[in-house]
Amino acid sequence: MRGARRIGPLVFRDRSGHSRRGRDVKLLSAVVHAIDWLNERVGRAVSWLTVLMVINVFIVVVLRYTLSVGWIWMQELYVWSHATVFLLGAGYTLLHEGHVRIDLIYREASQRYKAIINILGSLILGGPLIYLIFDRSLPMISRSWDSLEKSAEAGGMPGLFVFKSVVAVFAVLFGLQLLALFLRSVETLLGADDGPEYLDTEDQEGGI
Amino acid sequence: MSPEFLALIMFLVTIAALILGFPVALTLGGSALIFAFIGDYLELFNTGMLMVYPLRIFGVMKNEPLVAVPLFIFMGVMLEKSNLAGELLEAMGRMFGQLNGGLGISVLLVGAMLAASTGIVGATVVTMGLMSMPVMLRAGYSPSLASGLICSSGTLGQIIPPSIVLVLLGDILQGANEQAAELKGELVPVPVTAIDLFAGALIPGFILVGMYIAWQVFMAFFKPESCPPMSASDDGEKPDYRLLLRAVLPPLALIIIVLGSILAGIATPTESAAVGAVGASFLAWTRGSFNLDIIRAVSRETTKISSMVFIILIGASMFSLVFRGFGGDTVIEEFLTKLPGGRFSALLLVMVIMFFLGFFLDFIEIIFVVVPIVGPVLISMGYDPLWLGVMIGVNLQTSFLTPPFGFALFYLRGVAPPEVRTSQIYAGVLPFIGIQVAALALFWAVPSIVTWLPGIIFN
Repeated sequence: MRGARRIGPLVFRDRSGHSRRGRDVKLLSAVVHAIDWLNERVGRAVSWLTVLMVINVFIVVVLRYTLSVGWIWMQELYVWSHATVFLLGAGYTLLHEGHVRIDLIYREASQRYKAIINILGSLILGGPLIYLIFDRSLPMISRSWDSLEKSAEAGGMPGLFVFKSVVAVFAVLFGLQLLALFLRSVETLLGADDGPEYLDTEDQEGGI
Repeated sequence: MSPEFLALIMFLVTIAALILGFPVALTLGGSALIFAFIGDYLELFNTGMLMVYPLRIFGVMKNEPLVAVPLFIFMGVMLEKSNLAGELLEAMGRMFGQLNGGLGISVLLVGAMLAASTGIVGATVVTMGLMSMPVMLRAGYSPSLASGLICSSGTLGQIIPPSIVLVLLGDILQGANEQAAELKGELVPVPVTAIDLFAGALIPGFILVGMYIAWQVFMAFFKPESCPPMSASDDGEKPDYRLLLRAVLPPLALIIIVLGSILAGIATPTESAAVGAVGASFLAWTRGSFNLDIIRAVSRETTKISSMVFIILIGASMFSLVFRGFGGDTVIEEFLTKLPGGRFSALLLVMVIMFFLGFFLDFIEIIFVVVPIVGPVLISMGYDPLWLGVMIGVNLQTSFLTPPFGFALFYLRGVAPPEVRTSQIYAGVLPFIGIQVAALALFWAVPSIVTWLPGIIFN
């Protein structure tokens, strides 16, 4: 991870050229970049599930109204895909500033204000919440693995234990991206104005 | 300190924390969590109650009706990215643009019809603003009238079905409805679904569009210089009816199929949303813009918006878990039921509070945080949940239009050219706020405007 590199539309600015604060900072940027990279990959991968969901539900509709047949597992498949998208896409969404903020103050505020809010927010609000979700979901998940739980519906999907595990994976991916936000903000606050920020060319048009 | 008092403090602190600007989902859940531990320390709350939280999350994960949300988002983003809305506006402008106020009416219709119903007020207003503001200004429209038209139709698009706001509201109202039945001691509540809400919001939506158009027509008669016809040099061609049909019919047919199949009871919102998404992709294909790039862009946008929505739902469910744990819901219930003036003043107060919360919070946050708290009380007082949902929608829409804090105004300011002054934007929305308030009063006085259509469709 050195030099400017491109991942698709994301242009990362790395500053291995500047060695002002030596190895620690480089290590920090490397961590931030690794997390960004991971969630970028995961987010892009799960995005395809939205296309599959459209096709899946459409097939269910066509089968029901033309042949009057339907299978529980097909219905569960799109519900599960949906949950997988919004959970595993959460880190990706944070990476792209997609989690909505009340930007009454935030939008016009200085970089310093933003950094402080993000540091405090991830330490006091986000971190504990994500940890709690991870911690309290483990018993539910491990019970499910013990019995290799299946869907309770007759004719439902196998592998409910895998689906339940998505909660823990979500907590890890989202927690990591929150860590990246924290580290990035710390660097901003320390005055690294050319810190490891990314330029997101994908989101410039302002959403929907 | 009583637990109820702590619940009130938690509510106020959370609102204050939200305004600071950290992501909503994490702020809602995180601050509730802090209060849960404070409450545990003061022995007013048992953190053991948080054990049910993963089950709540799992409940969101397997909630089938909510799948309609990403599918509608997919449809909306596809329509936007393939520039169908833009073409529609262009064609209608060409059709009606030769008349005073014609362009304004086109903007209203396109906004109400196609303002992609993603549940995010800002995004819709930004899209509408970028698309139609320059056209109207070039045609010589007064900046304030143009601003009013964009803000009102952009926000109205949020509550005109098919809308994800209504899908989410339906889910929350159904929960509130069940609790209200419990409060009243009834066993089986009459179910409220997104389908009922779609049907209920349809006529009020048409009435609002009609009132907006009436205002535009009024302006065209009495202040024609504020909305001149598009100049011939701008568009020398005669209106091309074939082109108009080509631009108007397909999206119109799509909306009719999607809404019609839901309202006719043929398809669930999820099913018709999938048909809508396939239909939107088909329309993109007929315009030659359906390719791997657009699928990729649409699917990523869909992922981001739907993750945003549902992570807020997860954060908000932590909030309501703790709020209930403190007995905050019983305080609200006692307070509202003991108000002088009975259920009328209870609803009025709730509406006023929601109106002011609308200055700070978007549709989604208010639906997830406030409706679960006040909904059960109001419904158990005898208000029709369906009617309540539509009133909440129109009320919030009004809030988003109201200076100085209205969301829509901020976002329009952000994309409007600098020569449009902020005071002009404020002046422009005022008549529309008047229309909104009149409509709210009308729906309040004559609830059957909302409940009539669902009644004849589903009974």
